[in-house]
Order: sequence, then structure tokens, then C-alpha cells
Amino acid sequence: MHRLHLISVFFEFFKIGAVTFGGGQAMLPILKRELVENLHWVSMNQFLYFVSVSQVTPGPIAVNMATFIGYEVDGIFGAITATTGVAMPSFLVITLIATGLKKLSSSAVYRGFIAGVKPVIVSLLIGAIYLIARGAFHTLAPFIMAGIAFAVFLKYKINAFLFLIAMGAIGLFLIK
Amino acid sequence: MLKKLLKLTGIFFYIGLFTLGGGYAMIPLMKQELVEKHKYFTDDEFYEMFAISQVTPGPIAVNMATFIGFREAGIIGSAFATTGVMLPSLIIIILISLFFQNITKNVFVHRFFVGILTGVVAEISYVIIDVWKKSQIDFFFYAVFVLSLIEIFLLKVNPIYVIIIGGALGIVFKSKEFAKNASSSSH
Repeated sequence: MHRLHLISVFFEFFKIGAVTFGGGQAMLPILKRELVENLHWVSMNQFLYFVSVSQVTPGPIAVNMATFIGYEVDGIFGAITATTGVAMPSFLVITLIATGLKKLSSSAVYRGFIAGVKPVIVSLLIGAIYLIARGAFHTLAPFIMAGIAFAVFLKYKINAFLFLIAMGAIGLFLIK
Repeated sequence: MLKKLLKLTGIFFYIGLFTLGGGYAMIPLMKQELVEKHKYFTDDEFYEMFAISQVTPGPIAVNMATFIGFREAGIIGSAFATTGVMLPSLIIIILISLFFQNITKNVFVHRFFVGILTGVVAEISYVIIDVWKKSQIDFFFYAVFVLSLIEIFLLKVNPIYVIIIGGALGIVFKSKEFAKNASSSSH
């Protein structure tokens, strides 16, 4: 039973890793759908906590989220399994490219595929904003903070890490 | 051989440890380490790999590690380099899970993390603008964009299928255009 469980952890994250184009944030709606709603491996509150911590700890967001959720499901082995699963598709694809199949990624069919995925990424990013706002913003203050933060981030190219820590500090005073 | 493998692991461990913020924030440090310091890549190769990472699944740091590891020492090399880049996340997140299970129950910690999430929303908005600017916005892009919004928000289709549908539409409607451009621009 235990082994079966680890196998399903691996394939769940493998699946997610395979469709994660355009960075870790676009994967948030996918993770939420699969792991919070369908499988109930973590609660929505845990999920949002993982999102915020994943953004201010080292390493790719996808890897951090996989480690968090994998640990929640099955301890350290779950964490290792989930992390391996989420990285495996890129490992396989890049190894293929390194062995000389570079033509694959420049073929017309593949470029057509990516042209169709790009607008979906934009929608998924909007979905990520929606799920965070709906799940964690319970008063007006965080909405206003996010709006001002966006304007500031757009105008000044601040270090992303320091920016997030600063928003956390402001949150201590403004969020009820 | 072992020395080479450990060196690869070490370099990518360092990259994994010091790339806070994820995604594009990782690029300057990776370039410094992989191009300038250890000369695994030329400038052109680095940007080519960056471009490939944009259109292949998975985190860019994992892609870089896999590619360089493979070139240096075959599949074992890519395994070591990829492990190196993921190890810091794995260790740090496991430690956080071990020691801070119920940390968000504290009201101040909760406020701090919601504060971070407001910043995350701002960053994602920024990424949206960035993706939009760098894409070729035509009728097809708008059509798939609107369709995917309907699928995600109204029809509640699983996002995995939304990606696959988008990709399939791209193959049907855009591939010919790319094939034509490729043949007309080649000599």
C-alpha cells in the first residue's frame, strides 16, 4: 500500500511537471485542481501557505511546492518522490535535446504547439491570481496592497525576494 | 570522473541555494556561474538554452543542470547536476515542514504570509504583462486566450486539458504558418 502511494505521488507530479510551461506560477491552478480539489492531499489553507513560503525560499517554485506537498502526503520519502517526479519530464526532454534532437524544439509542429500554449499560460496566471485572492484576501487591505505593489514593481525593478519580504512586513501592520 | 561529477553537483547546489524568487531572478547568477566563471557555456549557448527552456516544460534551473550535466558526463552527469540544483530546496523545505508545521496559526505569522501573497499577486501580474509583450498577439492568440478563460473559469475544465487543447489548436492552426516562414527564410 505504501509503495503504491509513492508511485501515485510520483506520477501525479510527473504529470504536473510535464504540462508546466512558462514558469512555476502558471502551475498553481493545476496543482490546486489536482492536489487540493481532486485528491485532497492538502487543504486550501496549507496550499496558500506553501505558495507564500515557496516564493521566499531558495530554488524553483515548482520544486519547492512539490517538496512541501510530497512531505505532507508521505514524509521525507514523499518529498523526494514528488520532487523527482516534477523534475523528470524536463530531465527527459532536455536529455533528448542534448543528444541532438534539437530540431524537435524548432520544428513547425512544436512551434505551433507552443503558440497555442502561450495564451493558456496567460489564463493560468490569471487563475493563479484569482485563487490566491479568493483564498487569502479576506479584507479590502490586501487587495489595495497588491495593487500598489504591482505599480511599484512595474516602475522600479526591485529584487523579487526583498520585495516579497517587504510586503510581508507591511502585511504585519495592515492585514487584519 | 567522480571529481567532475562532484564539481557539477557543487556548482548547481550553489545555484539552487542562491536563486531566491525563482524564474527570471535566477538568470544573472546562472550566467555568472555557468558562462563567466566555469565556462560551461558560451554567451550564445546560454541564451539558446534559455530560449529552449521557455518552450520546454519544467524549471529553467533544472533544464540548465540537465543539459550541462549531460554534455559534461552523459546521463550520470545530468543526474548529478539536477540533484545538485534541487537539493537545497529539498533540504530547506523539509526542515520547514519538520519544525514549522503549525506556524500559520500564529496571527502575526499569518499576516506576514498574506502580505507576501499580495506581493506574489503583483509579481504574477508583472509576468502576465511580460508574457503578453513577448508573444505574437494575433487573432489566434486572442481566440485561444478567451477560450481558455472560459474553460478555466466557467466550464471548470481541468487546467491540464486546457493546456493540451491550446497546444492542439496551435498545431492545427499555426504549424503551417511556421513551416511556411521557415521555408521562405531558408536559402
